[in-house]
Amino acid sequence: MSIETFNVTPTDTVEARAVVERATGSATPRPRRRPSAGAMLGMAWLLVLFFLAVFADQLSFIYGYEQTVQVNGEAANRYALGPGWTAWFGTDGLGKDVFAKCIYGARTSLFVGVVATLIGLLVGGLIGIVAGYRRGATDRVAGIVTDALLSIPAIVLAIVIVTKLSTLREDQRWLDWLDRRWQITLTLGILAIAPLARIVRAQTLSLREREFVLAARSLGARTGRILWREILPNLVPTMLTVAFTGLGILIAAEGALAFLGLSVETPTPTWGKLIDLNRDRIDDGWWATVFPCLMLFMTVLSFNLIGDWFARRFDIREATI
Amino acid sequence: MRYALQRILQFLIVFFLVTFGVMVLLRVGLDKPGDPARTMLGGAPSQQQIDDTTARYHLDSNYFVQYWYWLTAMLQGDFGFSVQNSLPVRTLIENRIMTTVLLGVYAVTFGLLIAVPVAVYQAYRRDRAFDKVSSGMSFLVVSVPEIVIAVFLSFLFVVTLGWFPRIGEKVYPWDDPVEHFRNFFLPSLVLVLPLAAVTARILRADMSLTLQSDFVSLARAKGMSPRRILWRHALPNSLFSLLTVIGFQLGAIIGGAVVAEAYFDLDGMGSLLVVAAFGSDLFTVQAIVALLVITVVFANLIIDLLYSVIDPRIRVARSLA
Repeated sequence: MSIETFNVTPTDTVEARAVVERATGSATPRPRRRPSAGAMLGMAWLLVLFFLAVFADQLSFIYGYEQTVQVNGEAANRYALGPGWTAWFGTDGLGKDVFAKCIYGARTSLFVGVVATLIGLLVGGLIGIVAGYRRGATDRVAGIVTDALLSIPAIVLAIVIVTKLSTLREDQRWLDWLDRRWQITLTLGILAIAPLARIVRAQTLSLREREFVLAARSLGARTGRILWREILPNLVPTMLTVAFTGLGILIAAEGALAFLGLSVETPTPTWGKLIDLNRDRIDDGWWATVFPCLMLFMTVLSFNLIGDWFARRFDIREATI
Repeated sequence: MRYALQRILQFLIVFFLVTFGVMVLLRVGLDKPGDPARTMLGGAPSQQQIDDTTARYHLDSNYFVQYWYWLTAMLQGDFGFSVQNSLPVRTLIENRIMTTVLLGVYAVTFGLLIAVPVAVYQAYRRDRAFDKVSSGMSFLVVSVPEIVIAVFLSFLFVVTLGWFPRIGEKVYPWDDPVEHFRNFFLPSLVLVLPLAAVTARILRADMSLTLQSDFVSLARAKGMSPRRILWRHALPNSLFSLLTVIGFQLGAIIGGAVVAEAYFDLDGMGSLLVVAAFGSDLFTVQAIVALLVITVVFANLIIDLLYSVIDPRIRVARSLA
């Protein structure tokens, strides 16, 4: 799962699959309005995770992430507790509750993922829709810029940008708000721009040739109105699908960056950081590494399942028009 | 021919744009005279050192002049000097490039060796048990972030089974094939699994589509063996998306290599990049990014030109364009 996956899923694969399914009639020709079982599970997982992450401070069964777990009135030692009733996911190398750290880690991951996706959708969507609609020179310039951005391996670009932002912040006063969390968010947002612009552009190119656009144009609608009222609404399904798949991808990327040492400031926990800190002691306490991995995997999988369902569903809607 | 020239021109534009962009990005915020040199030197350098470094690499001239010096030196094989390692960047890279190249070659080779037969069989026996199980598995694997794969593999093979060493050592196959296998197997597998899953999904979709076409029915009607139909007729006609995706996934492979090298402590370009980016080692970062961009863009260029070798229709279309 990497940012490059943006470029192939979902449009290319889904289109190919849809064509096959339409041709063979073998898979789900009937419109499927209800979510698939997988998508339901994904939504359930994400709802629970969002709820716990948002209300972590208020819920009494979640320890503070800096609070040492108490066993019989004494502080727990390194990896003293395995998964059990006292500490659900066991304790880590500092005697802290892994479950609590996973929940607080979800805050960072979800925040970074959601905001970065929004940045990507906004900027990438704008570039894509304008380039696809105006074509000509605008399209060519946008094409070169997206090509350039896509030619650098995403993680590599992320490493360069995050380290640059953090050194910049050290001696630029006006960047004080740009803490590590925002640095990572901004970086991943930048990375999401090019793939999204590419997808939206491709979609816009085919939409602009449709009759309803021609109709609007012949009625004298301005470009802004055509983009906003005619083309954008038709882009929503694609954008939603890509946004969900993209969320999974970006959260995985955030995990990878955290693992490489580019994470939020201590002591705030993140999944990637937990994995990095505990992996060398995996034989002492597998739980401290395995549970953050599971959280990461389940979350990415959930977003993918929902994205996949959207893809199928909207694809069918489009085919029935 | 004209098409090839166009593509090569595009290749050059992207290369210049990216390398220049990264150079500027790395120097943003270092506006005061001597700043870039100070960053490169790290620690607390003397004024003499700063002046020397500035003069030697023309760090006080404008970006275009600097870029010109960098580019001409680069083309002559001089990648600059890494002051922090007191070694020429070229030596640093030469020491490590083989690791990453080997990982990449293994990833693509074995990824395809797994994906192609699986996808062909899936398409041939669509919706049967094997197809359903393996499609589900590939969907799952696509959703697993690289770090999670790395943790899972090392937990299984290193901690539990003890088959492979915990810390990877850089042993080349021509020195000691057995040790090489022991050290490179797990990091390669981290790259192979996601690549195999992504490519299998793409190829399965394309292959299913091809198997619906008339020429396949004809081949079947005249009694051609399924094996020959699948491998000699259907597969070559289904490679289009697969090739494109491999081109896109190259960046993902490099990104995965960064993570795998970090996880298994292999000395490769990825770990070099992380250290260099953290230490603002400008020339090292620039050189690595330039090399990676050349690799990715060049591979895509080759793939693009390969289309016309594979498919005569594309050759004709391009020669007419």
